[in-house]
Amino acid sequence: MLWQQLANGIAIGSVYALISLGLTMVYGILRILHVAHAGIYALGAYVGLLSFRLVGNFWLSLVVGMAGAAVAGYVVERFLYTPLLHLPRIAPLIVSIGLFTAMEEAFRIVAGPHTLAYNARVGLGDLSIGGFHLTETQILILFVTFAVLIFLWAFLTKTRTGLAMRACAQDPETTSSFGVNVSRIIAINFLIGSAMAGAAGVLIGVYDNQVWPTMGSIPAYKALAIVVLGGLGNIPGTVLASIVVGLAETFFIGVLAIPFPRDAVAFVAMILVLMFKPYGLLGKA
Amino acid sequence: MISGYLITILIIIVIYAMLAHSLNIITGHAGQISLGHAAFFGIGAYTSAMLYTEAGFPFWISIPLAAVVAGIVGALLGIPCLRVRDDFLAITTMGINFVVEAIFLYIPFFGGAMGIGGINLPKWFGREMTKPEYFILILVVFFFLLLLDRRMGHSWIGLAWASIREDEQAAGAMGVDVVRFKVLAFILGSAIAGLAGGFYAHFLTFIMPQNFGFGQSIVVLSMVVFGGIGTRWGPIVGAIILGILPEVSRPIMEYRTLIYGVLLLGMMRFQPGGLLGSGSILSRTLQRLSITYGSKGESR
Amino acid sequence: MKSRGFLFSFFVLAVLFLAGATYGQDIPIGFFAPITGPAAADGASAKNAVELGLKEVNDAGGINGKKINLIIYDDRLNPQEAVAIANKLIEKDKVIGVVSGSYSGPTRVTAPLFQKAGIPMVAGYAVHPDVTWDPKEKKPNDFCFRNGFLGEIEGAAAAEFAVKNLKAKKVSLIFMDNDFGRAISSGFADRAEKLGSKVLTKQMYKFPGEKDFRPYLTRIKEGNPDLIFAAGYYNEAASIVRQAKELGISSKIMGEEGFDSPKFLEISGSSAEGVVIATNLDRDDPRPLVQNFLKNYRKAYNEDADMVGASSYDAFMILVNAVKKAGTDPKSIQKALLETKDYNGLTGKISRFVQGEVVKPVQIQVVKGGKFHRLGVVDNPEVITPPTKQ
Repeated sequence: MLWQQLANGIAIGSVYALISLGLTMVYGILRILHVAHAGIYALGAYVGLLSFRLVGNFWLSLVVGMAGAAVAGYVVERFLYTPLLHLPRIAPLIVSIGLFTAMEEAFRIVAGPHTLAYNARVGLGDLSIGGFHLTETQILILFVTFAVLIFLWAFLTKTRTGLAMRACAQDPETTSSFGVNVSRIIAINFLIGSAMAGAAGVLIGVYDNQVWPTMGSIPAYKALAIVVLGGLGNIPGTVLASIVVGLAETFFIGVLAIPFPRDAVAFVAMILVLMFKPYGLLGKA
Repeated sequence: MISGYLITILIIIVIYAMLAHSLNIITGHAGQISLGHAAFFGIGAYTSAMLYTEAGFPFWISIPLAAVVAGIVGALLGIPCLRVRDDFLAITTMGINFVVEAIFLYIPFFGGAMGIGGINLPKWFGREMTKPEYFILILVVFFFLLLLDRRMGHSWIGLAWASIREDEQAAGAMGVDVVRFKVLAFILGSAIAGLAGGFYAHFLTFIMPQNFGFGQSIVVLSMVVFGGIGTRWGPIVGAIILGILPEVSRPIMEYRTLIYGVLLLGMMRFQPGGLLGSGSILSRTLQRLSITYGSKGESR
Repeated sequence: MKSRGFLFSFFVLAVLFLAGATYGQDIPIGFFAPITGPAAADGASAKNAVELGLKEVNDAGGINGKKINLIIYDDRLNPQEAVAIANKLIEKDKVIGVVSGSYSGPTRVTAPLFQKAGIPMVAGYAVHPDVTWDPKEKKPNDFCFRNGFLGEIEGAAAAEFAVKNLKAKKVSLIFMDNDFGRAISSGFADRAEKLGSKVLTKQMYKFPGEKDFRPYLTRIKEGNPDLIFAAGYYNEAASIVRQAKELGISSKIMGEEGFDSPKFLEISGSSAEGVVIATNLDRDDPRPLVQNFLKNYRKAYNEDADMVGASSYDAFMILVNAVKKAGTDPKSIQKALLETKDYNGLTGKISRFVQGEVVKPVQIQVVKGGKFHRLGVVDNPEVITPPTKQ
């Protein structure tokens, strides 16, 4: 059973990673707590589902979902966040919360309050090694997350734009004085982060076979706890924190069987870590 | 004969105004974003509820104790919290909200998912208070709190807070004990929130852990921000407007929450100082009006 | 000039009077449900079903010639709003009766208000015991009635069937952490143990929002129970059932009324086959009342009815029936409700009310061929009779 729980924990941790990465990237570059990121995650699921209903192909729906989310992220950045950058940080935070509330309601009004089924099959089949049983969707999640992480790593370390992005996160003024178009970098940052959230939305939609208007509620705050746990703005930290939380939740419930609300685990972990490391697991001042 | 419906709305608004005011002390005076303020609201509500139903304490004792307990918890949580900075603090307050809600939900001593019921209105002169009388009571209490706030604002505490809000590092360099004043704001803010929670419990007669979760924290924060953080009347105005909104928009009930979200979004996007903050359309209009009418005596 | 003005105002007044008079001819009945917010799906179901009932009654001429004016409010699953709504219904809308299409929170907080005002309220499916019982005064709220089952009773009935008919000797429980989940699971566990079965594990999950049940199910699988009793609403139900199949669990799965929704069937797909549930709606009930409701609901809303809708419809009809018998005086309506005997409801035959709670058999349905069908009924009086509290 332990192996199965391990698989469960890593699978859900991977999805957390996909959502949280976008959040930490946005924070890294704009220092904004982008709560509406969870709304974009849900949008990705809805757009993906819609395209799946029209075309019937999972991979296509994944791409469309990611694209839809990316566009939404770009719009939010351009019209809502960037104009408010000169204000105290509570302003974009409240804007984000207002936007998230409005998005959830929009989903309910447009697509209905009921849960919709996202019945995509990829035809991979399950994998069984001894007591270790990975379902098809779990394999899919691991595969996509792995691909995305490789891409991100390559992008950030091997390309000029990626390098510029890391520089921007550290010091936007100096970076722009070097001739880098900071505004363009910010846009790309949002595009990538939002696309990942969209992917997470599609994957969860398929994993649970459910898409519903308030599906972003829990990820909205859980992802915040995760990025703080890992270190705000720190990408490897976020990945680590995501897996830690995924495993912690699974083991709490499935192995230790302690009756404790699953969603509070991330926050408890976060608070404990912050007591000893005020900047998160891998964060720096 | 004032309608019971109207009184209900008024009581809810005053409680929210008190809650928003208490958050404003933390956010506005001490400059800390708290995303989990409903936790203290809940601690006050549960304290009062349990003292009343389990220990048989009368309302007049359970309410002040609610404030005291909430204030103590605020102090305990405030001190380690302040080791953490800015955005980390904001999310930590959110975390506290979740943990407190979980405690109420999962520990049977606090009633668990069933909540606590049978919390009645206070008794005085040998009979139960009527709703209009309850309204007057909490209004009077709130009035005193505002007076207190005004006095503090004019005192050295208020000056210290103002300096911390403007520039924390400079204030520290000038010799202001930043940590001490922040903790003071935390304690005061949580205590008043606890008081509001006690009033809430006795009014609703029944409380559930879900009433004090993250959603409630956001509602209160929105009121403060909408009205204008750091302004004296802003949070109260915010509480009144956002408190009346559900009632007024009942005819369009399908779209209420959407309107709420858009309102919040729009307000912060275009008038980040809130309705009464400096630079807002409302305050500028009021200024212009006062200039026009103020100079009426001089011209012509 | 003067006489013309006088005539005109007389005319206006006459029109207003007639309009007011005809309006005053309507019977005002209140209704509240979580139409927006986190429970919007159930609120929509409840509203749709009650509106269907309203149309049926009004199209047939109303009650003794007068039409019903149904006043609908959205409580957003928020107790404060519910309190405001209750006050509005009592004072402004002056209703003679109320139907609750909402959850425990709003229903429970408004029950004392309706009780004090002497306005009868019938709750469709809210489960908290305090709806019909005042915990401080320790006496029943005798103006409040509940159409749905108490959690403990539904759980006990499910256990009765599970042990006696399905021969389950080892059971595992998984339930949500709200009042319903706790009540129904403790009702099930107590009865199961009384009948000689062994409860292997009891796991509680956060509601709402939990979607990933694999950690819970993996642990359940270890013990290899004969039957898993799962409590949840249709989202959770569908997830539990699907993920159980994914993980290769072969134990029988038994659910409760929360499973009773076409959405559950849609989302779980083939994994729902063979799942058994305890509920109040019997799809195979030959009575025209049931079959017509199912047919008309489908025709009007293009989807199948669920437990929430059926229960709310029934609550409405119970109230209407009492008004038909007793007239529009709230006290008389309450008396008629208290004297209910063998009422033929959509969700079962109510023998009588005990302190506001129904004495009604629990239906056991099974999913066969992708649809709910009758599997059995639990009508053992020992199990289905609500306790009389002191």
